[in-house]
Order: sequence, then structure tokens, then C-alpha cells
Amino acid sequence: MILLGYIMAALAALAAIVLSSTHRRMNAACILHAALTVVLTVYVLLFQQVPVASFLIGSHFFFMDRLGLYEVLIASVIFTCAAVYAGGYVESLLSSKELDQGSLKLFYSSWTMLLLVLVLAFFCDNLALFWICAELTTILSALLVAILSARENIDAAIKYIFIASASMLFSFVGLIFLFETSRTVLGTGTLNWTALMQHASAFPAGMALAAFALVFMGFAAKSGIFPFHTWLPEAHAKAPSAVSAVLSAVLLNVGIYGILRVYAIVHQTTAAATIAPLLAVFGFFTVGIAAFSMLPQKNLKKLVAFSSVENMGLILIGIAVSTPLAIFWVLFHIMAHSLTKASLFFSAGILHRQYRSRLSTDADDEIRDVFRLQPLAAWGIIIGGLAITGMPLFPVFFSKLFILRELGQASMPALFLLLVLLFVIASALGYFVIAAFCRVTEAGASSDIVPYVTPLTMKIPLVLLIGLIIITGVVFTRGETAFFEGIVQELRF
Amino acid sequence: MIDTALVQGIIRILLVCIIITAAYIISTRNLLSLVSMYSLQSVTLVCLALALWVLESSPVLLAIAAVSLVSKAIVIPYFIATIQEKIRIRRDIEFHFLSPTTSLLFSMALMLVVYTVLSHILRDIPARDNLFFFGAVIGISLMLMGMMVMLSRKRAITKVLGFLSMENGVLLFGMFVTELPFIIEFLIIIDLIILVLLTTILTVGIDSTLEDYHKRLHRFRLVGGTEERP
Repeated sequence: MILLGYIMAALAALAAIVLSSTHRRMNAACILHAALTVVLTVYVLLFQQVPVASFLIGSHFFFMDRLGLYEVLIASVIFTCAAVYAGGYVESLLSSKELDQGSLKLFYSSWTMLLLVLVLAFFCDNLALFWICAELTTILSALLVAILSARENIDAAIKYIFIASASMLFSFVGLIFLFETSRTVLGTGTLNWTALMQHASAFPAGMALAAFALVFMGFAAKSGIFPFHTWLPEAHAKAPSAVSAVLSAVLLNVGIYGILRVYAIVHQTTAAATIAPLLAVFGFFTVGIAAFSMLPQKNLKKLVAFSSVENMGLILIGIAVSTPLAIFWVLFHIMAHSLTKASLFFSAGILHRQYRSRLSTDADDEIRDVFRLQPLAAWGIIIGGLAITGMPLFPVFFSKLFILRELGQASMPALFLLLVLLFVIASALGYFVIAAFCRVTEAGASSDIVPYVTPLTMKIPLVLLIGLIIITGVVFTRGETAFFEGIVQELRF
Repeated sequence: MIDTALVQGIIRILLVCIIITAAYIISTRNLLSLVSMYSLQSVTLVCLALALWVLESSPVLLAIAAVSLVSKAIVIPYFIATIQEKIRIRRDIEFHFLSPTTSLLFSMALMLVVYTVLSHILRDIPARDNLFFFGAVIGISLMLMGMMVMLSRKRAITKVLGFLSMENGVLLFGMFVTELPFIIEFLIIIDLIILVLLTTILTVGIDSTLEDYHKRLHRFRLVGGTEERP
């Protein structure tokens, strides 16, 4: 029944968007839809027995467990903030003629559909159905990237679609392998995650390895892991900032979620001994490539996008360590990264509106006088940058600390290497911020920059997110601990 | 009843046909024949599904044949052909990394690799006969050949065809190795149709090299009616 609630909310919002004529109403429908999703999820978390068993959900196709609800909660909170933010941002895109009035309906309806498909993806029990939903998220988000109809946006969107979908086809072959394995073991084939988890220990190692390797290829491309990360900085930098926040904070999680689910299955077979080092190698390459791409980076949004690549690599390393504690903090890091990254993209979006270069989004940012023109966004970048590098008081600090600690217990040289890479990343961020924010026009010289009046709808979500980051970093309740431990148990680590 | 050996022979022939179409897609430069070749490949796939149905008489195969016939042999090729008319390019002569000859040689090597790897992996699955193994190898090879088309071509519209051919490979592999529930297969096909439609529409934005075209005309001072045709 609850699932129907999610679907009905989305359909109602969709109908409202199609029928409404003004931008304000479409935006309001999106905000309401996302907020309703938050409310529904919180309701299920507080008042329902998890995993939920009821009509439609106890079926073969859908289920709700803690991990799914957790991901939906993150997604819907980010979507609510991003929808509020989009109100001001899209208005400014409209007034600068970067977005056609006619594309508005398409933009908001794909936005709503994207949230619905994401919610369905996280509640899928059947892995093939999850694959389909993940594929749909690629399509819808690519549409949101291409909406600006500048040639470079279409370029980025097509690159995203091709890399992600072609790799996802490999992961479908992996699912066929998994299906066939379950058929030889159980008699009847199944792709239901719950059923697979129950019988996973009987799976032959060779098949499990092949299946995981293929599935990993697809979801690695979705979450921007090393050899397939090339689409990510392009798409994230060129999308409208509200969309970039969603892409980075929510869509990357879909890939990691898929990897985590399938890894939980193969973790129980003897193939785990081969797979874990493989994951770690990919993780290290991802962090490394991100570190050295960030160092010479002059474009703020690309810098932030590469920081997402880095965090995905870190999460992958955490999954590879695969002790219960490491998985616990990986889960926490997913949330911490999502909140922080969304706030960074919101600030970057305000700066982009202020200093946008007419030529191309590839061009270097010409940031100057930032504290006079956009004090809030400047502080947003500084606080977000401190948070993402893992300073104390912020949630990333704890997750990084404990993932590193667990890694150190597995292998000291690996820990050392990772620390060096993380240091490079922190200094790249710091260097960019100091260099860009210290550029000031002399008192006497005339400045031709027209201050961009940031609407309140772009400021509120930013402040809200920074508040949330600090709260999650400082307060850690017993209920939260129990919840995360529940997820780790569900995944049987 | 039809002789089983005969059907198996037909299946083998069809599989070889599929590889030939894939090789043609890798090497041709004419966009129109590329689309018709893709359509032919899909028809071959439909025939394969029918032949397998005769062998196994599972209704899912029949349904797959019907859905593929409508979507892949008729709707998608027609749509791509319309788009091609619109963006007015008939030939795709730009290649990245690999020229057609090298990619053909490369794909032969790939098939050998796939054969070795799969015979290693599928060892754990008991009692599947030779034909199914052959089908699985061809399926994966078709997929990799499609990927090579995506890698080696520059035009987005040709890349779309490479993607479609990859997807045919996945379908082939799925048909031979296992039987997925129909609803899943059906949803996947719907999903891919949306994907292809979207990509093709976006392609118009990027491949409609009209500005490109005018630039070239200016460079060679060839502004005139006769030179407009590629």
C-alpha cells in the first residue's frame, strides 16, 4: 500500500505539472512531491515494522528493507532541497534565455519521473527490475542534462548515455549468469535478492565471480568508478546546478547501491577472497585519478565533480575492506557525501550564475570579489570544502576516520597510499579556494561585474543543508547506530 | 514433427548469418545500408527465436520473437531512417582508433577469447549441449562487436546502431543460456526503445552537422547546388 502512495504522489505531481501553465506552479508541484516522499519514508521508518510486508511489497518484485528506505530518505531530502533551489535557478536560466519556456514542462516532468523511478529502484527486490529502473534513471537524468540544448550539453548527455548504457548491458549479462547459477543450485531460477541471499553460500565460486565482475562493470559506470568515470565530470559540470546536485548526491548512490547488494550475495561464496582485492584496486585507481585531475583544475563545478569521483572510490575501498564496521561507516559516508556534495553544488551554482562565462562551461571561472558579491555562496564553498575533506565537526570526518582505520588493520601500505592521495585532494581544493577567493579588484579600479541578486529560494536550501551537515556531524543518536547496524545485518556482513 | 537435427542445423546457419551481419555493420560506410543491415540482423534473431521455440516449445520465446519483430525489425529502423533523412548524412567515413579492417581482425580474436573464457566459466553448468554453448559464444561476440562499432565510429547515429547491435547480442545470449520471466524481458525491451528514441532525438542536435557543412562549403568555396549532396 505504501508503495502505491509513492506512485500516486508522483502521478499527481505529474498531472499538476502537465496542467499548470506557470513556472511557479510546476516548481511547487515538484517541491510538494519530494516533500511528500520524505514524509512517507519517515512514516514508514517510524511506524512500520521493517522490512515491510504487505500487498505489492511482499510480492516477488518489490520489498522495503532498511537499506532501501535509507537510500530513499537521502534521495528525497536532496530532491526536496534541489526542487526549492531549482525554482530560483531555473528562473534565472529563463531570464538569460539559456532555457526555452517550452522546455519547462519537459524539465519538471522528467524531474518528477526521476524521483519516482529512483524510489522504485531502491525498493526493487528483483535484481532485473532494479536494473531496468537504474537504466531509466540514466535516461531521465541524461534528459535533464541535455535540457539546456546547448551543443556541449547534448554532447555530455550523449556521452553519459553511451558509457552508462553500454556498461549496463554487460551487467545485464552478469544478471543472466546469476539467474542461471541460481537455477542450477535451486532448481528454479530466481533473481530475487532475498532468495539469492538465503542460498548464496551454495553458489559455485567461478560463476559467482563471473557474474559479479560483469554486474560490477555496469554499476561502476553508473557511479563513476575509474575506467568508466570519464562521463561524470562533463555531465556534472554542464548540467544546471540543481540537476548537478541530484546527479552527484543521488544518482551515484544508485550504482554504489547495486554494487553493495550484489557484493553482499557473492560475499558469502568463496569468490569473495578474489573479489575484495579487485574492488580495492579499482577504488585506489579511482581516488588516484580524481586526485591528480583535481590538482590542475580551474573550473569549480568540475573540481566538485571530481571530488565525487574520489568519494565513490573511497566508498569502494570501504566495501572492499568488508568488515562489519567498515560497511557501517560506508553507509554513513554515503549520506555524508550526498548532503555535503549537494550543498557544494548549490553554492557553485550561485557562483556560476554570478560569474558565468558566455563562451563555454569548460572555460576557467573568473571569480573575483567573491565576499563582496556573494558572501553566502563563498562561505558555502568554504564550509562544504572543509566538510568534504573531512574536518572534525562534519560527518565525513567520522566516516573517513573509521574507514581508514579499518583499512589500516587490513594493510598498512594501502592506508599510507590512501592518506597521500587524500592529502593531494585536500590541497587541490584548498588551493583552488584560496586562489579564487583572494582575487579582489583594487579599491580605485572600476569593476564591470554586475552583482547577481540571489533569490531567497536558492539561499534557503543551501543554509538548510549546511545545518543538516553540522547536525549529522555532531549528533549521533543510539537509534541511528541501531539502524545502521540493522542494515549491516541485513546485508550479512 | 520436424526433425530436431534439421532445426539444430538451421540454428547454426542462422548464428553464422548473425555474425556476418555484425561484420558488415563494423565495416560498411554507407549509413542507409547500415540501418537495413541492422534490421536484417533483428529478423535473423526473430527466426532464431522461432527455431528455438520449435525445439523447446516455450511460449516465452514466441513472445520474444513477436516483440522483437515489431520493435527491432520495424519500428526502430524506421525511426532511425527518418532521422537520417532529417540530418542529411548518408555516409560515415570517420573512424577513431580502428579502421574497419583492423576491427574485423580484432573481432575474430575477440571471438576466440570469448570461446576460451566461456568454456571455462560455463563448465560449472551441467548438461547443456554444444548448440547452447555455441549460441552463448556468438551472443557475447556480437555484443563485443557492437561495442567496437561504438568505439570506432565518430557519428552518434552510428554509435546508436552499435549499441542496438550490442543489445541484440545480450538478447541472443539470454535466449540460449537461460529463460528469463517474460515480464522482465518485455520491460527491458520497452526500456531500450525509450533509450534509443531519446538518443536518436539528441543525435539530431549533435549530428546535424549543418554548420559544419556550411563551414566546409566556405572553405572549399563550393557554394552551389551540385556540391550539396554528399
